[in-house]
Amino acid sequence: MMEFFEANKDILLFAGAAGAKLAVFLGAVMGFTALMTLAERKVSALMQDRIGPNRASVFGFAFNGLFQPVADAIKMILKEDFLPGRAEKLLFTLAPFFALVPVLALFALIPFGDYVMVYGYQVELQVADLPLGLFFVLALSGLAIYGVFLGGWASKNNFALLGALRGAAQMVSYEVVLGLTLVGLMMIYGSASLQDMVRAQGGLLFGFLPAWGVVYQPFAFILFLVASTAENKRTPFDLVEGESEIIGYFLEYSSMRFAAFMFAEFIEIVLISMLIATLFFGGWQVPYLYETGFLFPGGAELPLNHYLVSAMQVGSFAVKTIFFCWFSLVVRWTLPRFRFDQMMNLCWKALLPLALLNILATGAALLYLGKL
Amino acid sequence: MIIITAAIYVFGGLAALATLLMIFQRDPVKAAMLMLGALLSTAGLYLALSAQLLAVLQIILYAGAIMTLFIVALTATPAAWRDKPARGSFAKVLGLAVAAVILTELLKVSGALKAIIVSPEFTETGTLDLAMALFGRFAFQFELLSLVILAAIVAAVALASKRRPA
Repeated sequence: MMEFFEANKDILLFAGAAGAKLAVFLGAVMGFTALMTLAERKVSALMQDRIGPNRASVFGFAFNGLFQPVADAIKMILKEDFLPGRAEKLLFTLAPFFALVPVLALFALIPFGDYVMVYGYQVELQVADLPLGLFFVLALSGLAIYGVFLGGWASKNNFALLGALRGAAQMVSYEVVLGLTLVGLMMIYGSASLQDMVRAQGGLLFGFLPAWGVVYQPFAFILFLVASTAENKRTPFDLVEGESEIIGYFLEYSSMRFAAFMFAEFIEIVLISMLIATLFFGGWQVPYLYETGFLFPGGAELPLNHYLVSAMQVGSFAVKTIFFCWFSLVVRWTLPRFRFDQMMNLCWKALLPLALLNILATGAALLYLGKL
Repeated sequence: MIIITAAIYVFGGLAALATLLMIFQRDPVKAAMLMLGALLSTAGLYLALSAQLLAVLQIILYAGAIMTLFIVALTATPAAWRDKPARGSFAKVLGLAVAAVILTELLKVSGALKAIIVSPEFTETGTLDLAMALFGRFAFQFELLSLVILAAIVAAVALASKRRPA
């Protein structure tokens, strides 16, 4: 037994550290996602001049609705788990997993900080730093289509199937744009590892501007924002669900199976916000903050403790993530839904050519600057 | 590296199992899902062999794009909506014949594989090497292929578009 541990020491140590990091990071994400379901209702209430949920209470303390996610979860668990008579039982059960698992797996690739020293070990604040991280993001997010499609098909309900077909067409289309917008970033940073990309964004441009992705690739950022909203199937691209009138793929789902689809959507908001922060807004970078402390362009210095620097970096990542989550909620309650042909035209006739032009322009600029 | 070896056997076994189950599955959509399982296990196999690019391309292209199209197309077929799929004796004979042909080919190839030893100039197929080969040595063929695909897309659009009276 000891020999086995000795022989596989590296891989076991890696697995242990990864497990610990995953537990902390994923725990934080899950807790935050539960609060996101509340935030969604509160934001919608604010924008529609209502109060929103504020009644769920523990021993009389409601904290203006803070316990609503707990109440929702209990309600979901206690509801009847309905299985339509003609449904394909196995695929019907499998579909929520396909919606949830790829999204959860993607959090392993997100760098949420630089590193911290723990008992002399340098612990990277990222679960898995894959050299092809960005490709894995695209690969796994592509698998989320199966959740939508199987959910719609296995219900054996024509409305659900139509929703699923809309979903498959929409997600396959916007997946292409999503991938192409990231090519420009890969060309500039010369790497597909997310941690490398964040580290590359730590420098300064013209001596004062943080070298964030959005400065280099503003068009790619806008395209990515639109395509990722469409990929997440949220308003204005919620033709897949269309909860109020056209009915979506999870029509036949109830109880925790439905909750899995809904929760997956909210986790996707968090994931996309993290990706936008990582790729375009410097990830965990704080402007002018380096490993040893602040170093302002004017020459002023402010040396800081290693743990304080790490905490500020993780905090900066959290703030950026929360900002884009909030942005996503506001967009949802501001814009009306597209018609299906408008959505398809937007993808194939506007976003896709623009994404290709962006790659061409990036390549030309790199060639001109002699960095190719 | 016992763990890596174990991962290789587990993913290999899963791929073989999923493929076998797919062959004996009557429901076309379920068969497609089993094929997806086989494709994903193969991607896992590549990962265990630390061929990350292959694994990613396997998932993006086969599992993400091609299988999605397969499944969408399959649900449009009448067979997917039948509660009990039809049994055709002709299809059975044809299937057996194709299976026999493929099996003999596979046996031939696997017999040849044993003789092949990794050649000395073999290097790890990294992303850079692949890119060098694709856009350097095989650049002409690569561009030619994209032209063929473009022609196929134009043809598909032409076939799909409604014939309007002139």
